[in-house]
Amino acid sequence: MNNPPTLKTRREFLQGSLLAGSLSWTIPAFLSRTITTLRAGPSTGETDRNILVVVQLAGGNDGLNTLVPFSNDDYYKARPNLGVPARTVLKLNDEVGLHPALGGLRDLHASGQLAVWQGVGYPNPNRSHFRSTEIWQTASASEINEKYGWLGRYFDHACAGAEPTVGVSVGRQSPQSFAGPKPLGVSLEQPETYRFADTDPAQGNMASGESFYRHLNRPDILDNGGEMNTGGSVGSVAGTIASHQNPLDFLERTALDAQVSSDRIRALNKNSLNRVSYPVSALSNQLKLVARLIGGGLPTRVFYVSQGGYDTHTNQSGSHDRLLGELGSAIKAFNEDIKAQGNLDKVLLMTFSEFGRRVKQNANGGTDHGAAAPLFMVGSKVRPGILGTAPDLTPTNLHNGDLKFTTDFRSLYAGVIEQWLGTESKSILKWSGPAARIT
Amino acid sequence: MLSPLAPAKWGFASAAHLLNRAGFGGPPKQIDQLASLGLEKAVDQLVKFDQNPDLTSPPAWTKPDSDRVKELQEFRKASLEERKELQKVRRRMQRNHMTELRHWWLNRMVSTSHPLQEKLTLFWHGHFATSVQKVKDAYLMWRQNDLFRRQGAGEWLALLTEVAKDPAMLVWLDQGQSRKENPNENFAREVMELFTLGEGQYTEKDVTEAARAFTGWAYERADQRFVVRPRWHDAGTKTILGQSGYWTGNDVLKLVVSQPNAPEFITQKLWNFFAGQPPSAELSQALASEFVRHGQEIRPWLMTVFRSEEFYSPTVMRQQVKSPVFWLVNSARILQRELPPAEATNNLLRLMGQELFAPPNVKGWDGGLAWITTNNLLTRYNSAEYLVSGENPLNYATNRAKKGPNQPRRLPLAGAVRLDAWLEEEDWVDPEHLLRTLETRLFQAPLREKQRANVREYLASRTPLDTTDILHAIRLLMSTPDFQLT
Repeated sequence: MNNPPTLKTRREFLQGSLLAGSLSWTIPAFLSRTITTLRAGPSTGETDRNILVVVQLAGGNDGLNTLVPFSNDDYYKARPNLGVPARTVLKLNDEVGLHPALGGLRDLHASGQLAVWQGVGYPNPNRSHFRSTEIWQTASASEINEKYGWLGRYFDHACAGAEPTVGVSVGRQSPQSFAGPKPLGVSLEQPETYRFADTDPAQGNMASGESFYRHLNRPDILDNGGEMNTGGSVGSVAGTIASHQNPLDFLERTALDAQVSSDRIRALNKNSLNRVSYPVSALSNQLKLVARLIGGGLPTRVFYVSQGGYDTHTNQSGSHDRLLGELGSAIKAFNEDIKAQGNLDKVLLMTFSEFGRRVKQNANGGTDHGAAAPLFMVGSKVRPGILGTAPDLTPTNLHNGDLKFTTDFRSLYAGVIEQWLGTESKSILKWSGPAARIT
Repeated sequence: MLSPLAPAKWGFASAAHLLNRAGFGGPPKQIDQLASLGLEKAVDQLVKFDQNPDLTSPPAWTKPDSDRVKELQEFRKASLEERKELQKVRRRMQRNHMTELRHWWLNRMVSTSHPLQEKLTLFWHGHFATSVQKVKDAYLMWRQNDLFRRQGAGEWLALLTEVAKDPAMLVWLDQGQSRKENPNENFAREVMELFTLGEGQYTEKDVTEAARAFTGWAYERADQRFVVRPRWHDAGTKTILGQSGYWTGNDVLKLVVSQPNAPEFITQKLWNFFAGQPPSAELSQALASEFVRHGQEIRPWLMTVFRSEEFYSPTVMRQQVKSPVFWLVNSARILQRELPPAEATNNLLRLMGQELFAPPNVKGWDGGLAWITTNNLLTRYNSAEYLVSGENPLNYATNRAKKGPNQPRRLPLAGAVRLDAWLEEEDWVDPEHLLRTLETRLFQAPLREKQRANVREYLASRTPLDTTDILHAIRLLMSTPDFQLT
């Protein structure tokens, strides 16, 4: 058996495996794309680009108790027990302030690194967690079902031929926003276990179990090289290959991505340390890993982390306090960490939640599904401040008891894609509205 | 549509497919036995499981807590300090019960003589997706599980009605505390969106009106059961799905299930679960009318499905991504090994993305390709080593890596697969024979030529073969894209 390669990058892998011009029509879509890009020449410096970190607040964060309109009587009338008392609010101006647990974000506001977008939502809001999450993840209009995620479409549009690690989701699942016609992106929980582990006594040997694992998980075409060439031209590849919905094709692609990214991530994780201490929480651990991967120079454009538990129908106050406390302190530690690395100017963090909650508290000490809510952006390059228009809390101006949105989330996505990720947004978002100025 | 499979197409491969999908698969002998029955009887044997009841006894603690009233009183009287202590004790007990319950169910899936009953129970668990994270009561979780087992093949409306009154569900979607002064919409919404009709088939107004109708369906904490509280009920008229009346909870369920699109919604989901992909528009129509023809009863509908040509089409067979639970239970069955200890199976399933009794949200597990991420695939490959050799390969990593909160938990030794239980004598001396034995057992189908060549080469590099070599070959075969499909 010939010595199987340790995979550093898809690029090396393919260059070592394929003869130019001898590709058969059986090439899976993801490889044909990579090969096409290889022919076009190497891509430009992947590690010097801006990085987006998306933080999902899953369950529907109560926006009104996050950014508190402490000078508004309608707020306290709607929330006699749940309202955050004005004296405890971390005031940002004369009208709004942060929940007292968000000290971390208040500090970022003080250093000019926090953007608070008010009243973010979309027309015809949907109160289903799943549908509304889907709308945010796919950047679709409320009435339209869009198959692919907005980040997946961005990868597809602007990152052709990139490493699978161009998108990294921390966790076991891959977010819907990463889904794309030719999906890119990997998910991992922790680098230490993100590998094929072996108890084979022949470890390290050429005939070790691991080397056979690498062979068994190589897509067909790579083993067959030019020999399987049936004369089909490269130009016909795109029309004839099976779609990625073919489960075996999909599994092979994922297996290859797992090999490539596992080798890469474990190598760089060893040499990359967190430079500040983080509070203890699940979100904190995720951002800690993101900081190490950024510090290690992983060629990633988008990281994705999430914090769950925001569906506060009953006895909201204790759990919501805890969640916001974890959110603010984790983001602040992360911000300090990348600053210590010298990467502060390269990173923009953005939160989102599928919806805010009903203005009026419910009978169980909680709040029900609502609509518009604030969204945070954090970074040294963001346009800071209290942005957009505050939603109107006057009972007669609510829609079914919910806030009407004042900023469409897609204008923020458009701003991020254009001003931060540096590419044209119209064809990715299929949205004709203007991009918000976010930097 | 849905015409019976031609007898000529029935054989080992189709019997293996049926056993995989209607159950959790099995070793070649079981498949041969099923194949020899012929399609008609094979389906009968799997679907008519009610004719000889399964007498497996549930865990000892699965009964109402007789001391509960006393405990609740004591708790109210206790000081703050004492309360904390009592809560700690209770949480520990609940945790232990859940570990036991999960393992009890998994063992049942492995060893049951009614595999379809357990498979259906798993389907309904995913459909009604109730999590112990919120319910926090192992007894209630067991009750719901038992309900799915008892009624999972019965009439749809009867099952739905029982689920709506099931204590775990009453807690899970907040119905148990919904009163007329302020109806909670959670259950009313999900019953339409996720359980019966699907998004877009009802209006926001239908949700608020249905929530009013459900008021008064409550949960009695003291004796852990469903009660109707007339004083909590909004007795006024409601207009739901275009019909007005003094509707109660029972009426709402009848109304939603009798919507014209309701049969298609539930049969699509059932088909997707058993066939592994959504049905075509035409098939979907046929599935729904077949369901209506059988009075919306699951069992006879399943008999038609399992005998149908469509169910054995090449786009269905070996095209389903194994769920983590299927992966684990099926592996134990085909390797003829017992499950690893309870703490290990719980941990493995959590890592692979399907912790029983703890679906990620009300929608349940997405399933299909969503089971597979780079992370989950590597976890499956490493879990294969553990299941085959009994040793967790990541325990080695733990020793080397520095200590931290993210360290993988150590798994107890689980014992290796006992090859002498099913390997034939020729397998030890003839690698080609061994290769055929392994591919039949693990894949019930021939491997791709590339995979065969690799395994052949592996076996040649280890000749003469000892137990470790063969165990390792099995692990490698399980660490392939191909093994993740059924």
